[in-house]
Amino acid sequence: MAEDRVERTVVIAATRERVWEVLTKPEHIGRWFGPGTPTAVDLQPGGVMVLEPPGSGERYLARVVTVDPPHYFAYRWASAYPDVVADETNSTLVEFRLNSEDAMTRLTVCESGFASLKIPAGREHFSSYESHSEGWTEIVRILADYAERNAP
Amino acid sequence: MTAAVLERADELFAALAEPNRRLLLEHLGARGAATATALAAELPVTRQAVAQHLAVLERVDLVTSARAGRERRYTVHVQPLTAAAIWMNQVAAQWDERLAAIKVLAETP
Repeated sequence: MAEDRVERTVVIAATRERVWEVLTKPEHIGRWFGPGTPTAVDLQPGGVMVLEPPGSGERYLARVVTVDPPHYFAYRWASAYPDVVADETNSTLVEFRLNSEDAMTRLTVCESGFASLKIPAGREHFSSYESHSEGWTEIVRILADYAERNAP
Repeated sequence: MTAAVLERADELFAALAEPNRRLLLEHLGARGAATATALAAELPVTRQAVAQHLAVLERVDLVTSARAGRERRYTVHVQPLTAAAIWMNQVAAQWDERLAAIKVLAETP
């Protein structure tokens, strides 16, 4: 928790090439990230990738950083700034690493750069929770889950 | 949001690892503000235990207090540390969901 990054891993019973396809093809991104329909992806460094979190009604313009099939894929996304193309000052870096393990693929995602993010006024979702007991109960629940997973 | 803020998260989660403290926080959050005596009346713990838990929560800034007559009145305090920790925890949970979805898609011929 002390680090400025979130890292998660999953082992998938498929080749790296297959996982790469799911990770980067418009019809797949639309399903694992977005609302279910294909999303626009310009798969090259500097290209824009449209991310639409389901249920949010918002659109995020991620900037592709590195495309190295089927090993490494990275993009920046400005999760506090809908409709603004991500750059170094407003976004976190999302990196995917694909490693072969026998017939399986270990997929690791790392999102970093939270500490230097400037959240604009009105986009800091949690500031409003203080005055809502319902929101507060939800916060305590989330914290409790986290505390149980991370207790010494 | 600063790195220093995130570094204090461990302390925060240690304070929250105790189930009675979480129960206390939920009650306090629902009430808005309360004294240790009022909270003890609602919970299956002694006033003394409530006071000790509140002291721990106050040390990590999850609650703040102000004198009210002969007692102290406590309120919950979601300051940036909490917001940062919750946010990162949510980011992690969202990635777990997305990775699970990627796995299903990749494993489906």
